[in-house]
Amino acid sequence: MRRRDFLTAAVVGGAVTIVGAPAFLRRAYAQNPIKIGMPAALSGGNAQYGIQAKRAAELFAKDIKAKGVLGRPIEFIFEDTGGDPATAVRKAQKLVEKDGVKFLTGVVMSSEALAISAKCPEWKVIFMSTINGAGALTAKSYNRNFFRINTSGPMGARAISLYLAEAPMKRFFALGSDYAWGRDSVASFVDQITAAKKEVVGKDYPPTGTKDFASYIGKVKQSGAQGVYLVLVGQDATIFLKQAHQFGLTREVKPIMEILELENMKAVGDAMVGAIGSSRYPFTVDTPKNNAFVKRFHDMHGIYPDMFDGETYEGLEWLSQVITKAGSDDIEKVTEAWEDSPYEGLEGPFFMRKCDHQAVQLGFAVECVKDPKYPHPIPKILATYPGDKVTPKCRTEDFS
Amino acid sequence: MSNLVEQLLNALALAGLLFLVSAGLSLVFGILRVVNFAHGVFYMLGAYLGFTSVAISGYFWPSLIVVPPVVGLVGALLEASTLRFIYRRPPIYQLLLTFGLALILEESIRVLYGNTAKGIDPPPLLDGSLDLAGIIYPRYRLFVIVLGLAVGCAVWLFLTRTRAGLVTRAVAQNSEMADCLGADVARVRTLVFGAACALAGLGGVAAAPMTTAYLGMGISVIVDAFVVVVIGGLGSIPGSMAGSLIVGAAQTWGAFYLPETAMVIMYAVMGAILIFRPWGLFGEEE
Amino acid sequence: MRILAVAALVALAIAPWALARYQLSILTDLLIFGLFALSLDLILGYTGMVSFGHAAYFGLGAYGSALVLINFAQPIPVALLAGALLAGAVALPIGWFSTRATGIYFAMLTLAFAQLLYTVAYKWRDLTGGSDGIAGVPKTALYWGGPSLASAQAFYFVVATCVVLSLVLCRAFVHSPFGRALQAIRENERRFTSLGRDPRPFKLVVVVVAAVFAGLAGALFAPFRGFASPEVMFWVMSGQGLMMVITGGIGTLIGPIVGAMVFILIQEVASSYTEHWMIFSGAIFVLMVIFLPGGLVGTARRLAIRG
Repeated sequence: MRRRDFLTAAVVGGAVTIVGAPAFLRRAYAQNPIKIGMPAALSGGNAQYGIQAKRAAELFAKDIKAKGVLGRPIEFIFEDTGGDPATAVRKAQKLVEKDGVKFLTGVVMSSEALAISAKCPEWKVIFMSTINGAGALTAKSYNRNFFRINTSGPMGARAISLYLAEAPMKRFFALGSDYAWGRDSVASFVDQITAAKKEVVGKDYPPTGTKDFASYIGKVKQSGAQGVYLVLVGQDATIFLKQAHQFGLTREVKPIMEILELENMKAVGDAMVGAIGSSRYPFTVDTPKNNAFVKRFHDMHGIYPDMFDGETYEGLEWLSQVITKAGSDDIEKVTEAWEDSPYEGLEGPFFMRKCDHQAVQLGFAVECVKDPKYPHPIPKILATYPGDKVTPKCRTEDFS
Repeated sequence: MSNLVEQLLNALALAGLLFLVSAGLSLVFGILRVVNFAHGVFYMLGAYLGFTSVAISGYFWPSLIVVPPVVGLVGALLEASTLRFIYRRPPIYQLLLTFGLALILEESIRVLYGNTAKGIDPPPLLDGSLDLAGIIYPRYRLFVIVLGLAVGCAVWLFLTRTRAGLVTRAVAQNSEMADCLGADVARVRTLVFGAACALAGLGGVAAAPMTTAYLGMGISVIVDAFVVVVIGGLGSIPGSMAGSLIVGAAQTWGAFYLPETAMVIMYAVMGAILIFRPWGLFGEEE
Repeated sequence: MRILAVAALVALAIAPWALARYQLSILTDLLIFGLFALSLDLILGYTGMVSFGHAAYFGLGAYGSALVLINFAQPIPVALLAGALLAGAVALPIGWFSTRATGIYFAMLTLAFAQLLYTVAYKWRDLTGGSDGIAGVPKTALYWGGPSLASAQAFYFVVATCVVLSLVLCRAFVHSPFGRALQAIRENERRFTSLGRDPRPFKLVVVVVAAVFAGLAGALFAPFRGFASPEVMFWVMSGQGLMMVITGGIGTLIGPIVGAMVFILIQEVASSYTEHWMIFSGAIFVLMVIFLPGGLVGTARRLAIRG
């Protein structure tokens, strides 16, 4: 009993001394750099996106190094979440409370984003999404501390639906990863396609991390669909496409990707040529700003930028411009400066809507093609849609 | 109809892979009385080494033959350097030790291979699909079905028809008695552990062209393999076979007909079997 | 020596003023996980049953409290009660079935039931939000119309109070005649049976009691993190609970809290140096299992007795 008492004391004493250098020591921390926290999935099945965000941040850090923002350097702090929302909240909390970041970005999964976003008003930080697709983030789960730079899932579904409305295909099957992004995007796609007087003959939601899609492939085959709309996250998409090829599915049914990524094209190779989809940022877009970016990116990383390399870079550049405009990194001032402000992105103009903090931007329908100039298939732009056609009504996931 | 056959083949291919993993898990439990949590990681190791071996040699078949013994060797070394010292402790300690080993191995593979999944192309002979009276089916999956069956028969023949198999079964029945009768129990344990890991490694190489080699494949397969051995009975090879078929079927048909409840069905089947036969279909009461 | 216990309480009491914001978060975190590990020790340490599905009760507690807080905006104690009772209620049928088996089969059965509940949480999207979980769980008030617990300090006190009270209750529980009967089952179940007593009701009660405390830990976790997701009931979480108990010391009650502390601190410290901190915690854990089977507290006690 006595030893136990002793140990109780030891536990508490230990907790206080090991975890705790006194608080005032921490507070004296230099205010100098502007810190941007990136609680990104750097491991696990969706690490490819976190790695993209990190690559973009590295390039941006190099580009901004000379001048800084408000004369202050930018410091990126990375934490690996593994793609799990519970871990993501813990890591984000660490970034906010321990490292004192005021800006969070680089979050990979929509489920992580929903969990973190809900805590941002309490933490008094800004969360800038450059990857997260779930429509709810700027609709049902909107809060004023959340800004979305990237095209959302419903916006991507809108762009490809506008394209498909003109195409000869009539019957579709929709397959979405069983979480916020997959579900939201499939719902949006079904609405759009039905409105275009075409038919969705089936839909299904394989869990994230599914490695054997044989049953789903069987279902798509049986449904008689001409196109299969895929909202599969990370490696899931690669694995599905490879297996679909082995089962001979892609001969009969055209893959339509919510996000047609380089990552998939590299992994699947020529079997993916002919797949179509929407793209949030196709690196092949021909603007002077983008061409320069692609070159800088290639020089630094030795590869071509994928979707979230571009989107994250744009987000960081826009954020730094907004902080400059606000003249401070105060959250309230930055929020006000950002709302209803324009930005010239890599692929075209952006506009941050005040009503739901969704960035209005161009929508792209693209096709996976081979080009001898590149070591892997690339996205070819089939159609470009103006921002007002592909952005939902404020704080909804509906399009007029 | 063609769909039914296709789903049946899918179930069999999945069962083949599950069997390669669960047979070893079951064997180790039967002989060492250890529930090996790290078993799935050896499956993952097999897949990754398979990737390396194909990348170096350019051929699939040599990899299928070379990788399993390597994985088995790693397993045997780990058994001899850690598990061997704690057989006398309550089973929980062995379970937790292997849990720790699983963490270390999984993270080591991450260090070595990075985060992205590594795909292997099936060998040219098995690439593409076969037209079975109107059913287009990947050749490679047919191969996995055959492999699972062949290994199942081989293990069963080894245990029942060879002298080494007899000694192994003797140790499983009563290790002290076997010791008295001159069997080198420690060696049998290490060899069995290594052999089980080699089986898992074989499963990993075989799985890689189907599912790619990815981090977390060990954890996801071990949970399924637990279900398999619990349904079939710990320590029973026919049990592993039956369990693999049940789980393969439940997962495949579940995902096809009842996608929303597929996973629940697998665990519900397991719970139901355990309530009526707590020691599994082919297991023996403790 | 009682003075030390008092000192411990005082340290817990002044922690919010002595610690920085993040350190207080870590302390809250480890108290919650300490409570979870402590509840597992009732089953593992005092009854000798290996439960590999204890995370299910933690998760049920988390969902119970999250749903009450989000949908009904009730005070925190109502949510805690709801979470703990939900876990206890579900433990009743699970315990009834799983205590039919013993040894490794008990472990497997608990694992199966936990995975079943996990998949239900994963698939019952309308109620649980599926894999996205329930975000934005608020820290409400202490009682109806009472002071808000939204600040980190206020909530810390709720957690600390719950954990200290639980520790006291669990100690009383294991030292009661009932608790001694449990230890008799652990030592020799056959003898216990041959004395004409049926061990199953005892086992069932301890499973339910442990579930209630695990549920309480989960119920604290949801508003603390503002989040509940199926991951908290995944088997990895059950495995971590076992690691905490073994690291700290099986059958000591205070040990699991120490184990949780070590576990979380290793994670905290090592993860800031390397992404691959799992190798270290895995290695430390393996060495612990081989060389210090009594865990930190068990070993410290043995040394104290000898010296």
